[in-house]
Amino acid sequence: MSAANRDRFIVRAEIRAADESVISYGFDLTASSIFVVTEWHAPIGTAVSLRLSFPRILDPVDVMARIADIRVAGEPGEPGGIRLTFDEVGVGARLMAKLDRVAPPADGAVIEERPYRVLLVDDSWLIRDMFAYGTAKFFERPGALAIDHAEDAEEAWGKLAKSTYDLVIVDYFLPSEDGASLIARLRADARLARTPIVAISVGGRDAREATISAGADVFVDKPLVFRDLFNTLRVLAERRERARPTPERKAILVFDDSPFALALTRAALESAGFTVAIAADLSSFERQRVAFDPDLILVDVQMPEAFGDDIASTLRGWHGVQVPILLVSSLDQTELERRAKRAQASGYICKGAGMSELVRRCRELLEVAP
Amino acid sequence: MEDLHAKFLPQFVSLARSRIELAIKAVADRDHAAISKIGRDLHTLAGEAGLLGLHDVVPLARDGELKARVLHASRTDADADVLAAALRQLERIIDGIGTPLKSGS
Repeated sequence: MSAANRDRFIVRAEIRAADESVISYGFDLTASSIFVVTEWHAPIGTAVSLRLSFPRILDPVDVMARIADIRVAGEPGEPGGIRLTFDEVGVGARLMAKLDRVAPPADGAVIEERPYRVLLVDDSWLIRDMFAYGTAKFFERPGALAIDHAEDAEEAWGKLAKSTYDLVIVDYFLPSEDGASLIARLRADARLARTPIVAISVGGRDAREATISAGADVFVDKPLVFRDLFNTLRVLAERRERARPTPERKAILVFDDSPFALALTRAALESAGFTVAIAADLSSFERQRVAFDPDLILVDVQMPEAFGDDIASTLRGWHGVQVPILLVSSLDQTELERRAKRAQASGYICKGAGMSELVRRCRELLEVAP
Repeated sequence: MEDLHAKFLPQFVSLARSRIELAIKAVADRDHAAISKIGRDLHTLAGEAGLLGLHDVVPLARDGELKARVLHASRTDADADVLAAALRQLERIIDGIGTPLKSGS
């Protein structure tokens, strides 16, 4: 199965400008910009503070941005909004690195093998049919996504009580009890409170404000752009799948402050058959180290928060970590060798040697046949 | 690995161009507060290029990193000119990698 198109992942977008605060959603993420669906406009070039996230799934990324373009709503599938250009490089990669950061549950619970389960609460048969069509079209592997339906809040509540869902999609306009009220009930329930919720509606700003206030994580306007919604579901389903390490696979934790290096290393090691977790900062590294319990740790040397050799030394001396630790850096070989010895690391890899060499060394250390 | 190279190279070129562009501007503006970040960015760029097997880029990025550190300490026009020249050379190499990508070859 080819991977989902992650550029089309829908995120919550919170914009703060001088006199305005807007919560909406964004998609079409590029290396330097994102399109945010909104009726709020300001002159091109206006600076805004932007927070991108998917609460309960993706930690926020805060960035300064500028309005680069304004689009008036066109045909269905072409919502109006603004394209925001980031003031710094690597935002997209940072966001995807955060999305990639999956670890098995900290409580050691086993993630069962099953489809990604979505409950769609919508009384429109057309929307239900479109979801059935989208599931067949966007999920090449049968059974990767299971969509259950409920026509109203009461039926939804009954299903939520009996089953576990990974995501709930709620229409705002429902018979008898509106979507915002159902969302508020979900958030007030101890078992369901942490379930990610996407609200959908034709109701525009009023529906968005009502559902977001009630606790929806992301609001998406109807008519839905199914390509983006299903890409998002695919990314989430693939992410859940990655959180289930295959028992025979060796696990490698990679710590590097470069999101690009993390993405590349992860892709190379995963294609070589390893289970990989990544960390871009110290707190994430420590969380992943405890939760992921890696068989091998790769640490970059020169990072803003700490030197990799100091981290290796602390892991060995203070935490008593026994698994192999490799320093990975673009420093020259002599310097890297000296640092690795001092830190009691298991060795080092010069980044200049390339990905093939990195994969070869990991296999060698973990005694995995190519 | 060829697949990965093809997949990640355009992203690398785009990131490298942005970093170098910002660095050239910071040096031209004598923005000394940004100079240490230039050094870090070039170090990162050297590592990323190394992982991708771009052996022509790594020494130039490392050289730029060292020159940025020298300028950070000295703050002289002479060292700024030296760094600017190194950045332009790096920019040419990156453009050389990016051109075939643009033309689709």
